[in-house]
Amino acid sequence: MEAKSGKAGDWRSYERVLLPKVKDYHQLEVYEANGGYKALREILTNDKWDPTAVTNEVKKSGLKGRGGAGFPTGLKWSFMPPVVEGVPRYLCCNGDESEPGTFKDRQLLEYNPHAVFEGMLIASYAMSLAGSYLYIRGEYADWITHMEGELKKAYDKGYVGKNIMGSGFSSELVIHKGAGAYICGEESSLMNSLEGKRAYPRVKPPFPAQKGIWGYPTTINNVETLAAVPYIINRGGAWFAGTGAEKHPGPVLYGISGHVNRPGVYEYPTGMLMTDLIYEVAGGIRGGKKLKAVVPGGSSTPVLRADMIEGVTMDADSLREAGSMMGTSGMLVMDEDTDMVSFLRRITHFYHHESCGQCTPCREGTGWLENIVTRIDEGEGHLRDLDLLVDLCSEMEGRTVCALADAAAWPVRYTIDRFRSEFEAKCRASLVSSGIDLAEVSA
Amino acid sequence: MADFIKNPVVELPERNPAPSFPASELVFTDAEKAQIAEYVERYPTADGAIMRALWLAQEKFGYLPPDVIKLAAEEVGMPYAKAYGVATFYTQYYKKKMGAHVLDVCTCFSCQICGGYDMLHYLENKLGIHKGETTEDGQFSIQEVECLGACGSAPMLQVTNGSYVHNLTTDKVDALIDALREGKSWPFESVTLPQDEDDLGGNRRTDVTATETYQTPPASETIA
Ligand SMILES: Cc1cc2nc3c(=O)[nH]c(=O)nc-3n(C[C@H](O)[C@H](O)[C@H](O)COP(=O)(O)O)c2cc1C
Ligand code: SF4
Ligand code: FES
Repeated sequence: MEAKSGKAGDWRSYERVLLPKVKDYHQLEVYEANGGYKALREILTNDKWDPTAVTNEVKKSGLKGRGGAGFPTGLKWSFMPPVVEGVPRYLCCNGDESEPGTFKDRQLLEYNPHAVFEGMLIASYAMSLAGSYLYIRGEYADWITHMEGELKKAYDKGYVGKNIMGSGFSSELVIHKGAGAYICGEESSLMNSLEGKRAYPRVKPPFPAQKGIWGYPTTINNVETLAAVPYIINRGGAWFAGTGAEKHPGPVLYGISGHVNRPGVYEYPTGMLMTDLIYEVAGGIRGGKKLKAVVPGGSSTPVLRADMIEGVTMDADSLREAGSMMGTSGMLVMDEDTDMVSFLRRITHFYHHESCGQCTPCREGTGWLENIVTRIDEGEGHLRDLDLLVDLCSEMEGRTVCALADAAAWPVRYTIDRFRSEFEAKCRASLVSSGIDLAEVSA
Repeated sequence: MADFIKNPVVELPERNPAPSFPASELVFTDAEKAQIAEYVERYPTADGAIMRALWLAQEKFGYLPPDVIKLAAEEVGMPYAKAYGVATFYTQYYKKKMGAHVLDVCTCFSCQICGGYDMLHYLENKLGIHKGETTEDGQFSIQEVECLGACGSAPMLQVTNGSYVHNLTTDKVDALIDALREGKSWPFESVTLPQDEDDLGGNRRTDVTATETYQTPPASETIA
């Protein structure tokens, strides 16, 4: 194959940092022996690091949130209001990871839990917080148990809790166990869940930095985002900014699933060619088949046809130009035999099931999307259903309390747009079976 | 009476439900009470602890009928109605009695295109029940669930809110059912990163016994 280059430079020689080549890195002793908690010690003991300096270093790194929306992390931290004596402030680390196609946080939590803790503590220092919560989805029960063991070790060693490393800085860290609801990944819903309420998203504004958990200033960051922070302090923001794509830099965990020969979680820089990821990293399409479609970053990101991915790199700008999004970098690869109609049907079922039901366009709309796509898939659809679906998407997008309605509408809009002939074929089949003259209906 | 009162469109909770457990059993031990008190300590208000308290209650009683929710709410110190709202919001809290082993088969997204439905239907045939049902001997329940965050090792399932079983095949499903019938638990499977196979010669964890590698299910896996 002709040599092409993305913005990732030579990814083949890339040395992993989030998941380095070290056995048992998840254990505190091994993590420490390999430079673990060094970044925390550095900022707590070296006078050059006041909270603002830490935030500035993160800003300099160009780190963008890995939870889906890609918001600049340093900037988000600086939205926290000035400290008021006696008013608590919080950090929530978002480990709800429920976006279909996303499984990188689970591997990070298993293989590098201490970087998550250390990142949370550094963030707590940067934003002057006395406490943080790590929200992990309830299904990850085994990983929660493992992490609680490691967290206890970190407490015993004095890395977490009162007067950390004798610096006078104190910060508590609590692991919260969810109980099965995709919506808890949405940041305001996550806050309600933490408070012991039904996890309904909140109307914004007020934003979490103004009024978060229990009404106090709060910041929410993804697991992978916070895990990158210790490495940014150790190696410098400039190192991070110089890795991968210029405007969306850093190491990233790509979760590749579907019809590839070698699925899995891979750590590489951002800005890799999508074709390199599919054909070189993940070993190409299973059974020597042809590629049909790729969903680049979780179920809500618009699907790309095989002919749309040439030269596309894995960063926000390139993917936007190509007509999709980076999302969670959980990439699903589909081969030529995939039925796009039943694929979409299952996605619409997911969003219908997970809608919290607060907003009418979402509660009813997700149900209608599922019903109509199901009808088409079952061979009972009409050609006009396709336009009806797209109209319905327009009625849902941007009209609800949270972005779940948009996340439900995008796959429908773009899958129909990009695979329209397949949808039409199923509709036409239904017309034939009901004895309607095709010549009359085809426009 | 208006028709919807006689025939409500949604199932309404019983106002005075019959007790699910005798009063003597419906208590927390001192150790459990201490554990819940410790959960309460972790949050600025007691309510934050309700999810953990419900988890504890579900592990003890097997499911969360109204009287168990009430017990947990009282222990935490929050209104029963609020706790009921929480318990019914989340899918992992069982509102009705389930089989001893609950098999949550993922058929979402990646699992769908990698044979998740084949696995679901194989299990349904094997156990003679549909999803959402429990076998007559009370041993197994099957549920169809949404993405469990293990899409790279699809198709997969989870056993009773615990172990993940990755890379399902019909053989693996058979082995799982046999093991559970014999009263064994399924070990924690650590899924090796492909890069670790190259760089570390396999799994990076030396403290787990069962490991799995990511693999694509054979394209031709079809079940009669
Ligand atoms: C419906 C919905 C579900 C979401 N699920 C997750 C999730 O599972 N994990 C996550 O980190 N972010 C999720 N997000 C994004 C969060 O709201 C939030 O933007 C993110 O955690 C912020 O972290 P980051 O800035 O580090 O990316 C979700 C958003 C929406 C609208
Ligand atoms: S958009 Fe949907 S999920 Fe979000 S708050 Fe409204 S109903 Fe709930
Ligand atoms: S789709 Fe089944 S685990 Fe993600």
